[in-house]
Amino acid sequence: MKKNFSAIGQGLFRNYVLIAILALVAVTMLVEPNFMTFANLINIMRQFGPLVMVSLGMTFVIIGGFIDLSVAGTISLVAVVTVTLIDPIGQVPAILVGLAVGALCGYINSVLVLSSGALTQAEALFITFGMSTVYSAIALMYSGGSTKHMRFLKGDTSVIEALGQGSVGIFSVSFLVFLVCLAVLWVFQTQTRMGRAICLTGGNKTAAHLCGVPVSRSIIAIYTISGFMAAIGAIILFSRITTASPVIGAGYETNAILAVVVGGTTLKGGKGSVLRTVMGVLLVILMSNCLNLLGVTPYMQVVTKGAILVIAIWLDNRTQI
Amino acid sequence: MTIMESSAPLLKLATKQKAFVAIVGMLVLMLFFDTNFYTTYNLLDMLNSTSILLILAFGVSLTVISAGCDLSIGGIMVVAGIIAIKLMDVMPMWGAILCALVFGAFVGFVNGFLVVQQKTEPFIITLGMGMLLTGVAQQLTDARPVPASNPDFMMIGNGDLFGMPYLVIIMLVCFALAHWLMRYTQYGRNLYAIGGDYEVALYSGIDVVRTKWIAFVISGVGAALAGVLLSSKLNTGSSIYGETAALIVNCGVVVGGTSFAGGIGGIPQSALGLLVFGILDNAMNMLGITSYIQILLKGAIIVGIIWMDCFYQKRKRELV
Repeated sequence: MKKNFSAIGQGLFRNYVLIAILALVAVTMLVEPNFMTFANLINIMRQFGPLVMVSLGMTFVIIGGFIDLSVAGTISLVAVVTVTLIDPIGQVPAILVGLAVGALCGYINSVLVLSSGALTQAEALFITFGMSTVYSAIALMYSGGSTKHMRFLKGDTSVIEALGQGSVGIFSVSFLVFLVCLAVLWVFQTQTRMGRAICLTGGNKTAAHLCGVPVSRSIIAIYTISGFMAAIGAIILFSRITTASPVIGAGYETNAILAVVVGGTTLKGGKGSVLRTVMGVLLVILMSNCLNLLGVTPYMQVVTKGAILVIAIWLDNRTQI
Repeated sequence: MTIMESSAPLLKLATKQKAFVAIVGMLVLMLFFDTNFYTTYNLLDMLNSTSILLILAFGVSLTVISAGCDLSIGGIMVVAGIIAIKLMDVMPMWGAILCALVFGAFVGFVNGFLVVQQKTEPFIITLGMGMLLTGVAQQLTDARPVPASNPDFMMIGNGDLFGMPYLVIIMLVCFALAHWLMRYTQYGRNLYAIGGDYEVALYSGIDVVRTKWIAFVISGVGAALAGVLLSSKLNTGSSIYGETAALIVNCGVVVGGTSFAGGIGGIPQSALGLLVFGILDNAMNMLGITSYIQILLKGAIIVGIIWMDCFYQKRKRELV
């Protein structure tokens, strides 16, 4: 009898994100009927864009047993670089250069982590924090600290506008981009050799290395993916809010870590999935939306996010024992 | 191979004393520029403005030496400062300051519970705690600066005794206390032992959980004290100062030679590490370097020094 109960308990515990999402939606629907309106659902879908991209990239870093705080700086840098290049070289090349800059930032991180021989999350955390400062400073220097508005640009910005604001049928374009990225990354994680190598690297680096798993290449892959996904997030974010400031990315690193951990990817590395991260992001976005509708101040939302992060890590740690 | 071997002691020296080397380098460099750097006023001012970071660093050093880390100090600092200023309206000044310190101890206690008793990864959980506390600070102040009403309170951060600012005196007292605790008491030795090897410390009969837990409480109290002093210096409580302080202080501690692997380092080393940032800030201002380049240089120095720390750890692992 007791065993049955514990099995149910375990089942509830494993899917606590899903349960939390359902509970949150149910409560908000009762208290605030505006929640289920079409406009609000579209709004949620749009908010989904930037954070989910950054979180998907972060998922790989955390599965690989590291952490990436540099996404904040990367987002700012990519946004500033892309917006200033639209006039001289056109919008599509500007987007491509932006993505390349993001991937390059990630690659630089991986080179630093690899060459220093950092093995733990702590070391990676401080290296990437330092790099975040460097990228932010470059973004500030490049833009002279000013905010660029899309409507003051002379060039054609139709593609970029469509990314953040357009829609196909009932889906926003950014949501479709998200679905494509999710599918590609999911196949990459579950079906390719590199995806397996990343999981094994996160599980135990020394053992993985001795078994012939390409640990170094995995580390390069995870950071480059993270930088690239942050760049996609930056471009979607910029096109949604139509301005690019050199501090646009601040806060994304903690929110992404929050989404990944809440989704159920363990910080110890080796386990996790991009699908879980999507659930985590959904919970974070829904929570923001519900708290907004319920009239909670934005400051209290920061408190709630911090509390959820702490509790999620604590619960994650308890399930490991 | 021979080059590698012969360069090993040099590399070791440079990585071990990197803070000292950096400070001497900067001081020598400043001799070549015609600035007001070498004036008593400037040097004292630099020490004064670094005092708050140094007080933060002493507490953090204890957690880092015991192979932990405390990234919630930024949050504790701002909330404690706001608590002190807000409570001053309803109770005497010393009561308000005491409440702020008790708050710091409480957060440190919770951190200790999560990190030591529940064995969670200290880096990310204290980062989350810092985020939570930043939100609390914004909620308490409505994200606006709160002015202090008590002129006596302002004197703590701005007054001086025979030309020596109170802040520097308080910092020196904290330094002496922390150094005494780590060097000359059983508690300090135990903390080093825990950082060196947790299992060995456990089997030698050290109450590892309690010892490490207390380190987090001390770190919380230190951060709260720093917050009170910061509020007093600026005569306002505000939620914006803590954002990067936590990461800068933790990096500064590592710059000084205390490693995240735990077990090595000490309070004087941490003080040197934070002074690197203090002198760097001051020297860059004196030379008129623009603020963006200052941010860039700071980031590059953080990366460089943490990189060296990791590299040294890797060397040590390979030699074993």
